[in-house]
Amino acid sequence: MSDYAKPLPPDDPANRPFWDGAKRGVLMLQRCLDCGRHRFPAARYCVQCHGERSEWVATTGAGIVESYCTFHRAYWPAFARDVPYDVVQVRLDEGVRLFSNLVGVSRERIQSGMRVRACFDPVTPGVTLVKFAPAE
Amino acid sequence: MNKALAGRVAVAGVGTTRYGKLPEYDAYDLGVWALKAALDDCDLGFGDIDGLIINRIPDYQRFGEITGINPRYTTITPGQGRFSGICIQTAVAVIAAGLAETVALVYGNNGRSAGDQYGGASDAYGSGGAGLWFPYGMTSPGAFHALMMRRHMEQYGTTTDQLGAIAMAFRGHAALNPDAVMRTPFTLEEYRAARFICEPLRLLDYCLINDGGVAMILTTAERARDLGKPPAYIRGFGQAAEFAGSTFPPEDFWRGPMQKVANDVYAMAGAGPRDMDALMIYDNFTPTVLFSLEGFGFCPVGESGPFVADGKLALGRALPTNTSGGHLSESYMQGWALNVEAVRQVRGECGARQVADAALVQYMTAAPVITSMIYGRDPQ
Repeated sequence: MSDYAKPLPPDDPANRPFWDGAKRGVLMLQRCLDCGRHRFPAARYCVQCHGERSEWVATTGAGIVESYCTFHRAYWPAFARDVPYDVVQVRLDEGVRLFSNLVGVSRERIQSGMRVRACFDPVTPGVTLVKFAPAE
Repeated sequence: MNKALAGRVAVAGVGTTRYGKLPEYDAYDLGVWALKAALDDCDLGFGDIDGLIINRIPDYQRFGEITGINPRYTTITPGQGRFSGICIQTAVAVIAAGLAETVALVYGNNGRSAGDQYGGASDAYGSGGAGLWFPYGMTSPGAFHALMMRRHMEQYGTTTDQLGAIAMAFRGHAALNPDAVMRTPFTLEEYRAARFICEPLRLLDYCLINDGGVAMILTTAERARDLGKPPAYIRGFGQAAEFAGSTFPPEDFWRGPMQKVANDVYAMAGAGPRDMDALMIYDNFTPTVLFSLEGFGFCPVGESGPFVADGKLALGRALPTNTSGGHLSESYMQGWALNVEAVRQVRGECGARQVADAALVQYMTAAPVITSMIYGRDPQ
């Protein structure tokens, strides 16, 4: 048993390729086979063309920070040790947005527009979170 | 919008409960309390209600059962603040279509006593997928607005002191409102000293969480003229949604849909931003006030920070806004109490916080569903 106490992602079968990819160190996105648009979380139909055919594809995990905020309140007891902690809003080069955390950078250096790349944080034996680090 | 509907429907009665911590009342009780007050306000009785619109109270059938209301038209809406404006517009449409003549809109919120948190495991903000981001500690509508405010600061140079000017103005209004929950004015230094909840937002940038209820009675303008109080005419209304990608903050701070709504609501009312005697802006967090002022054209894009910094939103100044104290200081009634304040302003009932000669008052909300209404003292 892991003693990891923070919330884990919901075990939604539709999103498993994303989390399985994270365990392998790859950021996977769903892609529409009709119009090519990427999406996450998984959806049966494409928001752009409403096509039903899709595949999961590996991406480079590259994107930019669009914004960030700093939590001074812990909404879960397991985050109490972390406050203040930062959440970033990332837009991947494929156009998909994610909320995540930035690693390997001090708070003062976080700014909107900075290039970042996905990195992978195995928090339990079963779950690897997708986080981001400044792009080299 | 059908311009022929301008001024055809009016608010006849409004009712509010006490605000604060009311643990002995559930949401139904708060709704009944407010509805009794609204009916008393316009000299109507429960038997006069033939349309019922319920918001945040869990079940419409139960509400009708405990009040003995058997309406011709009924609906219920989710307990999100954007639905106050949607409900009022629905009532206008229902009345204009003849589905009902006298519609009771009833809202009850026992969120304080029920321990509502708006963040963490119970976070239901947005379109329901929030749990995906909990592992990163991302939660709460406050954080969503903090992300928006950070971008506004970086793009336009907006400052948190400018947010402080909004919070101070509204608290100053609440000090004049005996019904307000938070009535002690504070200085900019005290604002700066307030603790951050989700930086750049501080405690004083957040709405309250309190118990209370609000009810409104809407009817035709003709019928309203025969009732106990002067009608508050609904002179204009508009609505637009931006759902695509709305798990994340909108790149344009909702300016696109707000401009659509502004075009509709002002065209219908035959008036523009400069004609408004007071504003009621949905202030779940101080930044939405900035976004609303830009979206509805009260100031140029990116200039809302300097626009509010000199206290322009305070009573006696150019653009009195949230004269009740708003969600930040009066009561978190999710837009309902702001609409009631608009009605009370055009009736001239606001006492120490009355805007002199208030003829037109506009309500607006910046959210994934934008709504706005213009209330008029006169039918045209």
